[in-house]
Amino acid sequence: MARSSKAIPWFLFAGGGTATAFILPVIILVTGLFALFGAFSGALSYETMQAFIGNWLIKIIVFGILFLTLWHVAHRLRVVAHDFGIRADTGVAIVVYGLAAVGTIATIVALLNV
Amino acid sequence: MSTRTITMEVLRYRPEQDQEPFFQTYTVPCDPDWVVLDALNYIKDELDRTLSYRWSCHMFVCGSCGMVIDGEPKLGCKAFLKDYGDKIRVEPMANFPIERDLVVVIDDFIEKLESVKPYLIPKEPRTIEQGEYLQTPAQLKAFKQYSMCINCLLCYSACPQYGLDSSFVGPSALALAHRYNMDSRDVGRKAREDVVASHEGIWECSFVGACSQVCPKDVDPAGAIQQTKITSAIDYVTSFLPGGNR
Amino acid sequence: MSRKPYVRQMSKTSWFLTHSRYKNYMLHEVTCIFIAIYAVILIVGLFRLGQGPEAWQGWLDGLRSPLGIIFQILAFIFSVIHTWSWFKVVPQAMRIQRGEDFVPGNLIVGVHYGVLAVISLFVLILAGVA
Repeated sequence: MARSSKAIPWFLFAGGGTATAFILPVIILVTGLFALFGAFSGALSYETMQAFIGNWLIKIIVFGILFLTLWHVAHRLRVVAHDFGIRADTGVAIVVYGLAAVGTIATIVALLNV
Repeated sequence: MSTRTITMEVLRYRPEQDQEPFFQTYTVPCDPDWVVLDALNYIKDELDRTLSYRWSCHMFVCGSCGMVIDGEPKLGCKAFLKDYGDKIRVEPMANFPIERDLVVVIDDFIEKLESVKPYLIPKEPRTIEQGEYLQTPAQLKAFKQYSMCINCLLCYSACPQYGLDSSFVGPSALALAHRYNMDSRDVGRKAREDVVASHEGIWECSFVGACSQVCPKDVDPAGAIQQTKITSAIDYVTSFLPGGNR
Repeated sequence: MSRKPYVRQMSKTSWFLTHSRYKNYMLHEVTCIFIAIYAVILIVGLFRLGQGPEAWQGWLDGLRSPLGIIFQILAFIFSVIHTWSWFKVVPQAMRIQRGEDFVPGNLIVGVHYGVLAVISLFVLILAGVA
């Protein structure tokens, strides 16, 4: 039995779980209320969002939140797959962490483009 | 004292004659303050001498009478009949091979327990002349909860990860490793880490938390494992830094 | 005496249906599916923001589509389930010892909800006045 490297994705899972627990409900509330009633349309307008996300500090915060979220859901999906009886853990890990890596790079590219 | 007639459905398995387990029904006149273990003892004394099950203290400190009662892992001596209906289903603990009737094979757990080195590993051997270890009440409190484990194995019966993959070291063994890791007299965390921090150790746990819910002694093995994940993960990451041990 | 231990196998795919505590566990585990999809939606939104006003409007219109609305309602419910289940177990994962006592679990959980309220209010006000 050797020490498992699962510690590293677990750290990200725990950090992401904490970040999403605190920030996600209100963010979905904002976009959701906008979708339903047009609320916050000023904040979500192109000009306001472009200026907001254009700010470098905001970019770093947004990246941090999305990065932690991606790696949180990746690790949890790995566990869910195992709980649903999918035995090929290594294969699942490669897929979910691979997707999280793709998402991370996509986030960086998207943020740099704003 | 009014007796109540309880129908007990007990899982039987006689290896010398049965191909697979089956339920046998007994009608038991019960005193109102009885526990399930009392009803089983009545069955064995009066109705069916062949019924086999483990028990000892009858006061939930020895951990012998673990079983599944109406689908819930419980100690037979802690399951009060007044909390149940007139029909009670009794089975052996889940996730262990059945030896006979309600007796399960626990060899796997014994090996797991031994593998986590569940004993004090002090910094250096201590002679009698040096006297006793000194420990403040606060230092005792740090690990006391995890020392209450009676190895009843209800946690293994409840743990779906152990059911899915029996190579998992499991809640009780990991809680006991934590008990020693948190003891101020012990320096054995590194010595235990190869088993505790292995893939089959704490990292197999997905924090379902069923173990802590069924534990009759409030040990909270799930909490012990999560706390160990934090320290182990920090250990793992820092071991890559200069000065760390690999 | 011959031994013949009998092994009862649990279903690898439907074990969680056998008890309410396992169903509750699966419920908070599958929140990650909705959170994952929402994260992808946000990342796509960032791309659209960089592509100009028309692209951004297209993303906003997607949010307001029937599918978008239904998904966001579900995502909100599941994110709340995630938050509730995450906060609930913090005292187990993190015991804070002060002398001979431990900080009460209710207090730890309460502080988390307090911080959640502060953060949420901050974001709502920020979005409201922008």
